[in-house]
Amino acid sequence: MATNALSGTSLSMRSLTSQTQAFTSLSGQRSGLISSFGRKNVSFNSQPRQIRLQISCAAKADTVDKVCEIVKKQLAVAEGETVTAESTFQKLGADSLDTVEIVMALEEAFGIAIEEESAQTITTVQQAADLIEDIIDKKSS
Amino acid sequence: MGSSKVQRLSGMQKQVLSLFRGFLRAARSKSEEERRKIEAIVSQEFRQNAKNVDRKNFLYIEYLLRRGNKQLDQLRDPGTTGLSSLQLHFSKTDYSE
Repeated sequence: MATNALSGTSLSMRSLTSQTQAFTSLSGQRSGLISSFGRKNVSFNSQPRQIRLQISCAAKADTVDKVCEIVKKQLAVAEGETVTAESTFQKLGADSLDTVEIVMALEEAFGIAIEEESAQTITTVQQAADLIEDIIDKKSS
Repeated sequence: MGSSKVQRLSGMQKQVLSLFRGFLRAARSKSEEERRKIEAIVSQEFRQNAKNVDRKNFLYIEYLLRRGNKQLDQLRDPGTTGLSSLQLHFSKTDYSE
């Protein structure tokens, strides 16, 4: 019971932070989660986990979409071609100079600063999105 | 496979990319119109040299790096608004393929 409650709090905390960054429209769900947490300590066990998963997915998809848009614009990818989270910059025809330009564009779009070392390790859209969320998380905490 | 390729950049390649970033960063502080011009010029210059300069010609690349860093210093000066002087050596250099 005690451990249950503990893991429950840490879960809902995490969902709180990612939620406020990602979507304000989800705040209704957030308060619902808190009230159910107060009432029954036992049965909420699976529910917050589900919500947390759902939220982190939503945030990622949002970021990934934005990254895809920027990558498309920056590399002038043809209309027919699709850019997904798994697309590597190399496959899209980007060289190291393009990658620098993409990272700079991402910095501006998200209002963050990406360090040079980490910028050079990015090879896919997903990695870029992950790094961006990391930085945003660190900035807000 | 792809990631290892990116991480295996040489010191000189890193210097070049870092210079490129520096230019793009400096361009942000200029007016919107100039910024776009600067970005176009800088991008074209780097790409042209990447294509035309032999990757083993270290002396020349070092020279280009030094020159680029000096130009970046000048561009960073708030009094500098544009980069048109850079275009001089486009016409000077003959890139016959």
